[in-house]
Amino acid sequence: MSDAALEAEARIFGHYLVGGTPEPAVVARYCAASRALWPAPPGARDAALLDFVQRRPWSVGPLDAAAALLDPGGLLRSKVLVMSALLEATPAHADDFLPRSASAPALLWRLASSGTVAVLQAAVGALLYRLVGRARA
Amino acid sequence: MIDVIVVGSGPGGTNAAARLVEAGRSVLMLDFGNRDAHYANLVPSRSFLQLRHDDPEQHRYLLGDEFEGIPFGAVRVGAQLTPPRSYALADAADRMPVEAPGFAVSMSLARGGLGVAWGAGVFPFSDDELRSMDLDLATMQPHYDAVAARIGVAGAQDDLLPFYPPSPTMMPALDADTNGTELLARYQRHRAALNAAGFHLGRPRIAVCSQAFRGREEYAYYDLDFWADVGRSIYRPMWTLDELERMPGFTYRPRCLVRGFVDQQGSVRVEATHADTGVPERHEARALVLAAGTFGTARLVLRSFERYDTLVPVVSNPYTYVPTLNLGMIGRATRDARSSQGQLTAILEREPPQHRLVQAQVFSYRSLLTFKLMKELPLAARQSRRMLQVLMPCFAILGIHHEDRPSPAKTCMLRRSPENGPDTLVIRYQPSEAEERTQREDEAVLLRCFRKLGCIALRRIRPGNGSSIHYAGTFPITREDRPLTCDRDSRLRGTRSVYLADGSVFPWLPPKGLTFNIMANADRVGAILAERLG
Repeated sequence: MSDAALEAEARIFGHYLVGGTPEPAVVARYCAASRALWPAPPGARDAALLDFVQRRPWSVGPLDAAAALLDPGGLLRSKVLVMSALLEATPAHADDFLPRSASAPALLWRLASSGTVAVLQAAVGALLYRLVGRARA
Repeated sequence: MIDVIVVGSGPGGTNAAARLVEAGRSVLMLDFGNRDAHYANLVPSRSFLQLRHDDPEQHRYLLGDEFEGIPFGAVRVGAQLTPPRSYALADAADRMPVEAPGFAVSMSLARGGLGVAWGAGVFPFSDDELRSMDLDLATMQPHYDAVAARIGVAGAQDDLLPFYPPSPTMMPALDADTNGTELLARYQRHRAALNAAGFHLGRPRIAVCSQAFRGREEYAYYDLDFWADVGRSIYRPMWTLDELERMPGFTYRPRCLVRGFVDQQGSVRVEATHADTGVPERHEARALVLAAGTFGTARLVLRSFERYDTLVPVVSNPYTYVPTLNLGMIGRATRDARSSQGQLTAILEREPPQHRLVQAQVFSYRSLLTFKLMKELPLAARQSRRMLQVLMPCFAILGIHHEDRPSPAKTCMLRRSPENGPDTLVIRYQPSEAEERTQREDEAVLLRCFRKLGCIALRRIRPGNGSSIHYAGTFPITREDRPLTCDRDSRLRGTRSVYLADGSVFPWLPPKGLTFNIMANADRVGAILAERLG
């Protein structure tokens, strides 16, 4: 993949995970990690998914949710994991990942709201996942 | 001539050598001796929370310069082998090939052996356990005490005392974190009922300085134990090795890969090659102590005896870990100052006729990072992160160890290399259905007890056979005069002067950590040899 494509990917994943554009250093680290971990070009299905995400950044959440169920070891999920790791190991984003105590109502609200979003995303994502696969075929 | 050659610098080798040198014997230690030259000085000496907020270089040691700290795929063995610890396993698989389908083998060629990533749990075997190994507590107690005085042990005199022989030099236990404190308080309220069910909870005994000790610093509660050796507070065999290198009569020879030995009249000859050049070396001494780790020693003994394709037994504690949700932690603010080690130890004592013990360590989760848990949830990563953030303070992770006994389906043998390469150790390990059923039943009882403490089990995860990294039983101590066994002194039968000082000699494994027992037996071997060579 080209540097520009990897940088775009990093920005999409970063925005998806923590709601903001990652610092240039994190983007550069993501590009280095991608080159080191996946030196070969992706397979056709993975390439189609990544291309779809690049063209429609809003789809990363649903597709990640679907991949968590349908292909947890796949490339999309692995790349999101790498971006999560890089963001977590960056001082600016430490608080997005460090544990925080919550009262029982706050904990329940967080679990219910995140769980609901995750289920909806998975439902939309499963459809998208099939569509992208069919389009490739 | 040198008195004793010691092979290996892990927990066994260093403690055998220390006893010998203290007794005035000359010791040559042969060791491959890998060191971490990459990450050792990168981790700042400040609390986990502080460095997470202010160290721009944290990604280097948290994730690794080659991103080797990002685990893909299923839960794997050795989560504690973070990038700064991963040198513990470097080169071992290439230099000592193993074929072990379905069995995780961790071997080390590091200075300090697998001790560089030791969880530091100090769990001496009881008299009953030792007697079933043709040993006894009266024999072992002086060596437990000697090792405790050498390495520094912190612990408490609590409900676990009946299961672990006391130590006279024990330092005060480390402070439990909020999770551990809350669980212990709840245990006190339900103690009578839980004890009646065979469940006992207490503070873990850990090889750590809760006070300044032998040039090592008082534990700082930085929660960096998986990443760095802050103040050398947690014991590593390297600390003993550093002390030994300052003592007369001790010589450390790194970059040496031992190939075998010849037991001769009045001496033992050791054959080795230089790790980097491959140039052959020969060393000779009046006696030899093999402490190359259970599988390293198996390779050396079987090769030296030319016993290729001969099956010897192997045992390894079955291991399960169970993330639980400690409901008592909901809404509780947690203390930042904490250790990453086990916060509590639980023992489940099954009623007669089983007379079995099951041991669990209770851990909190923080410093091994959130993203590693995110991939375990079948949810979108962003939602996983948001949920885990509020759930993590409530996690009490149980690491459960079961006992293991030898069987014909748990063996290893050495296969000769068809060419001039290294021989292959072939391990076959298949527990019986009855054993696995028993373990599941014991875990169910244990988890019921934890439920009474407010801990709801989320999943039971079995990382697979061998995942405890406790290996033993290849040349067991036994009264029976059989080849490929050891006598009560840990002397290898068929030799005059070759002694084993690692896991090899323990015929079965109680569900306790093995390392401290290896150290104590190694100290005993050192004492026996020091006297014999008088």
